[in-house]
Amino acid sequence: MTTPWHASEDLTLRYADGSLPEADAWSLEKHLETCTACATRVSTAVRNTPAGLVLDEVRDLILTATATRPKGARGSDMCGSAAWARPAPTGRHLTTHLKPTLWSLGPALRGTWLLALLTVVVGALLLNRAAGYEATRTLLLTLAPVIPVAGVALSYGPHADPLHEITAATPSGGLRLALTRTAAVLGLSLPALTLTGAALPASGAPGAAAWLLPALALTLGSLTLASYVGCRTATAVTGGGWLAAVLVPAFAAHGGSLTARLAGRLAVCFDGAQPGWAAAAAVCAVLLAVRRDAYDHLENR
Amino acid sequence: MGGRWENDDTHADAGGDASGDAVLLRAVAAGDASALAELYDRHAGWLHARLTRRCADPEVVREVLQDTFVTVWRSAAGHRGQQAGGWLWTIAARRLVDARRVQERAARVETLPAPAAVAPSAEDRVLTALEYGDVGTALDRISPELREVLRATVVDGLSTREAARLLGIPEGTVKSRALRARAELRAALTQLNPSPTGGPA
Repeated sequence: MTTPWHASEDLTLRYADGSLPEADAWSLEKHLETCTACATRVSTAVRNTPAGLVLDEVRDLILTATATRPKGARGSDMCGSAAWARPAPTGRHLTTHLKPTLWSLGPALRGTWLLALLTVVVGALLLNRAAGYEATRTLLLTLAPVIPVAGVALSYGPHADPLHEITAATPSGGLRLALTRTAAVLGLSLPALTLTGAALPASGAPGAAAWLLPALALTLGSLTLASYVGCRTATAVTGGGWLAAVLVPAFAAHGGSLTARLAGRLAVCFDGAQPGWAAAAAVCAVLLAVRRDAYDHLENR
Repeated sequence: MGGRWENDDTHADAGGDASGDAVLLRAVAAGDASALAELYDRHAGWLHARLTRRCADPEVVREVLQDTFVTVWRSAAGHRGQQAGGWLWTIAARRLVDARRVQERAARVETLPAPAAVAPSAEDRVLTALEYGDVGTALDRISPELREVLRATVVDGLSTREAARLLGIPEGTVKSRALRARAELRAALTQLNPSPTGGPA
């Protein structure tokens, strides 16, 4: 259907701005499929319309995507002529990249987790200020390390993200996305909880910042463990493990009030062990780097 | 419409450009990102305009366009010497159908039929006749629903099933509308021009 005809300037411009009637547009569209010269001219004309902005943005996104996932990562797409013709797995869509920033920061930040964080912060302040409960910081520090871990649990994986299969298949899915979302969770919960802790009276509890390294280590530990057993199980193990390690000895010990015992237990877990927590965080980070490929197949777990 | 199409000598390099596309696609298959950028600059504009005519949601158009070129990047090796423009549109049209399907939360992955060989005679006549002005008038006379079906099946080369997904109507409706559209178009053409090219199909 090669023709000696080419689209006139007028036709090109009217197609670019969308004002060309249907029948003329159909003719041009069929022609563009076979004539690169006209296709290029129409494309140039469209770039000069408001759509040019979108075209530039998408161009940047695509070139970024090709830079982060070079050809070597194409895998099964090399299997021949049927490769492009077969139905696309829905996972091909890059939906999340185009959503507003908050949306892209992950399920945790727009769901129940944010509510939980707010509840803990507001609850702690109210308990102390309104109810005059002195040992609030002890309770806060007991709970604080679990909150980022819970954020991780709600951030990545088929159970947490309705778009998981879609996002997991994008060039920036996998560990990179999990880390981005974890960073968002940490960026919000660390300052919020530390400031809340600092606003509460010490009354025997460790410093307000003492929980930061343990929380980091537990979060990294969760991510590492998640590469073996999936996000949900991993966070249940680390979060539950922490609570058990603090609460069980505090309940089992004798003498003094429960909050005093809890404060003592926290002091053991935090103050003496900071280098230990730092080392644990470093080990987990290295392990996580080694296990990064496992994040591409998390949905199997 | 005749005057809008020029037989212009300045476009004599069209053949060179078309083979240029093939060269670009081979480079893309070999992992050359700058070739992909060049291919994008040549074709993304008209693909965007064409998608926009078929989908009112600019966000979906944007996603489909991006998706199309990501697919090209991954699957350029699957290009087998077809016209690059037609090949790109095939991908974009499929992605648009897929996007609609995701949007409507319809069933998961379902095997799409192989690219349908569009039943030739009547459609070919429409396409041939598109080069003549009276079809525009005839098309204006049939209802928008029928036009939509014609566009999806005849111009965009979608199968009945894909057209049904794109337009959000049952397959049976696509078939009956396509039949009616052809009949009405034929009638309109006959009315406009008592002896249309090729005679009654």
